[in-house]
Amino acid sequence: MIQDAVVDLFIENATKAGAHVVRVTNVEELNSSLAGMLDRVNSVYSPGLTETERTLDIPAECRTDDYKDAAACVEEVHGAIAETGSLICSSRGGRAVQAGLLPRRHIAIVSAENIFADLDRFLGDLGDSPPTNVTLETGPSRTADIELTLTIGVHGPEHLGIIVL
Amino acid sequence: MGARSESIPFRENAAQAVRNAALRAAMRNATGTFSVKRSHAIASVPIEEWRELASQVRLHVLDNLEEYVNRFERNAVKAGATVHRAKDAAAAREIVWCLLKDHGARKVVKSKSMITEEIHLNDYLERQGLTVVETDLGEYIIQIAREHPSHIIVPAIHKSRRQVGNLFAEKLGCERSEDPVVLAKIARAKLREEFLSADAGISGANFAVAGSGSLVLFTNEGNGRMCTTLPELHVAVLSIEKVIPSLADLPKFIRLLPRSATGQILSAYVSIISGTRKAGEATGARHLHIVLLDNGRSDIVSGDCREMLKCIRCGACLNACPVYQTVGGHAYGSTYPGPMGIVLTVLLEGMERAHTLLDGTTLCGACGDVCPVKVPLPRLLRRLREQRVEIGFTAAAERLGMVGFGLAARSPAFFELAQKLARLAWKPARITGIGSTLDRMPMPATTPFRKRIS
Amino acid sequence: MRVQFFPTCLVDTFFPETGEAVLKLLRHFGVDVRYPKGQTCCGKPSDSGGYSYETKKAAEHFLAVFGGDPDPIVIPSGSCASMVKNHYPHLFIDNHRLRETANAVAGRVYELSQFLVHELKADLAGLKAQGRITYHASCQLTRELGVREEPLALLHSLNGAQFVPLATAERCCGFGGMFMTKLPEVSMALANDKLDAILATGADTVVGCDHGCLMNIDDAIRRRGASVRTKHLGAILAEGL
Repeated sequence: MIQDAVVDLFIENATKAGAHVVRVTNVEELNSSLAGMLDRVNSVYSPGLTETERTLDIPAECRTDDYKDAAACVEEVHGAIAETGSLICSSRGGRAVQAGLLPRRHIAIVSAENIFADLDRFLGDLGDSPPTNVTLETGPSRTADIELTLTIGVHGPEHLGIIVL
Repeated sequence: MGARSESIPFRENAAQAVRNAALRAAMRNATGTFSVKRSHAIASVPIEEWRELASQVRLHVLDNLEEYVNRFERNAVKAGATVHRAKDAAAAREIVWCLLKDHGARKVVKSKSMITEEIHLNDYLERQGLTVVETDLGEYIIQIAREHPSHIIVPAIHKSRRQVGNLFAEKLGCERSEDPVVLAKIARAKLREEFLSADAGISGANFAVAGSGSLVLFTNEGNGRMCTTLPELHVAVLSIEKVIPSLADLPKFIRLLPRSATGQILSAYVSIISGTRKAGEATGARHLHIVLLDNGRSDIVSGDCREMLKCIRCGACLNACPVYQTVGGHAYGSTYPGPMGIVLTVLLEGMERAHTLLDGTTLCGACGDVCPVKVPLPRLLRRLREQRVEIGFTAAAERLGMVGFGLAARSPAFFELAQKLARLAWKPARITGIGSTLDRMPMPATTPFRKRIS
Repeated sequence: MRVQFFPTCLVDTFFPETGEAVLKLLRHFGVDVRYPKGQTCCGKPSDSGGYSYETKKAAEHFLAVFGGDPDPIVIPSGSCASMVKNHYPHLFIDNHRLRETANAVAGRVYELSQFLVHELKADLAGLKAQGRITYHASCQLTRELGVREEPLALLHSLNGAQFVPLATAERCCGFGGMFMTKLPEVSMALANDKLDAILATGADTVVGCDHGCLMNIDDAIRRRGASVRTKHLGAILAEGL
């Protein structure tokens, strides 16, 4: 599958899983979409580990260093999987994976070229010494434990925003 | 085996469940919904091919179980975990308790784990003075209610929203609500405090990957991730047959488990945990202890019901079983209900305690059809019924009846005599109540077919 | 064409009219039907209970009665046909001669609807019926023998009757052999569920290929006081001649 088709499939499946997905072509568009997703959110955690993360336009007064109390986490994730519409959150490079788990809003930026077509391609690639924590995140957190009624946003995020760059 | 060898009163439990209208409604809703969702989820995928491939991987592991478990241990240790082997439930409980005690843990958060139910871990830890908090919403509900799970995927499915609302109001002191969304938010807030203040997290694992020494956890709520990444100490308990060879095998199970369990394409979170936090990392427990539990698996794997160990605990057979659909999980009086529960309980707890469960199947075969790893459940149920007869746990009257049946089946003269006797004795038997269940059957015909044909 | 007929012990003892109906039906299509004397039971009751000794004895007798004749064996029951076809070969792992006989016999066993559709092409015969008919699909018939389309083809071919599909047709009715008497509460609950589905179709007749199921459903009908009747497939087709 050529990469454009892979990206389209990822967006389709991630959306089906309950994420809000946009595709952008440059940093300006990225920040514009981000501003939309962060509307009225005043406590944002963003680790600044990658180059893309360092170009994010988040006002200083909105930033917090403590992901436990943040209302949103904005980060670049390792990659994604088109087959299932999943993000790949990895602890590689000193990333705190749990930072995307605790806030109510998780906004993930993923590079189009880091989207794998399917599970086999990613997991086959991972090798026998993976990072300590690799989590596939598909949609916001949910439960149907009470009468099988679906509730979004249980322990993990209620909103999952994805920006494909 | 434990001291409880009194057999499970399955018929009595089942009869009681049949009379419980609220339970019947809840079970109808849950199993019906799951079955429909599963059908949709597998409609446009090559499900038979996937089942066969997954079954082969599981069989391959069972054929080489010791080797794969050893490989898993080696690689888990290489990644920084400490691995403990527990022969049985008592040993596992002791190991977990000592780990927590040595760590100075007072409060533990738990991710849903059927194996910890199997070894009755919570009770034991609580008796040692530990505070154990279940964090999966369904498990949290039944923990507050002081009950046991009634389904291996949705433990509180037997409870209506009203029941949960009353429970929360009574035990948590919050406002009464029947809205599942509101109730989930209440649980989220309460449990968030617990996650952040717990000294340790206990989890099970859906799979253990031998090649990389990784644990794999599937959850939807995110509680599994919280239990395993927030506290400094993570204790994982799992039984040895959960092993799969390598990460390259994982996709087969990622595709089958959520579809079979809830009809989802994928659970919200699949975490692959490989050892402890390494230098330069910001995620991972500082201490990871993995307890590998045998508790009868080595014996089972060398017996003729070994294919039961292929099970990946999806619950599809529960949802498909007409008996389970009618009576729910508690009637089985065991950690595991439904078709897989009957087989596993007999294998783990013994025929003396569990033989009554073997009556709880019509051998309709629906379970075998839906199992994602092709556990031949109908064949295993029939085999265990044979064992029940061999060991001698059938009623004397039934055995006597079967001797008579055997004679009638091979002697036409005896067969015809038996037919005549049945005709004569039917009415009296019904009236005197000797054959009370004969009420459900018609009278034998005055002239049987064999006498009508010229 | 010549066949051997095994009506089953249930039909022989409780539902002889079905046996007579099937005879009439087969003879109408020019089949020479032999009824081997000395037949008893296929052994399914003891097999379900786990009594392998008695089951082997029953099977040996069946093979002795039916095994010598090369003609097809027609059985108006999915569970009995499956017992002979699918389970007999596994009973005699240690006995080469009996295993050979079992395999040979298995190859010429037909459940009634299989025989009617594939050998007699009876679904083209335009038999008559009336009213509204629905169909309950028994467990071993569907899951062990793979018979799903044949009974439907036969019922759809009836002139004058309206066929209404049954929701959850393949869900177990709660018979399960001894289950009916060992767990009667659950059995009755399942029979009631099946009856609910039948009544929802508005049918006046529910057809099945196994008298065990029909007997269990009859009990639910009687307790409910419902006005639907059960009918074996062979019987409703014979009525239409």
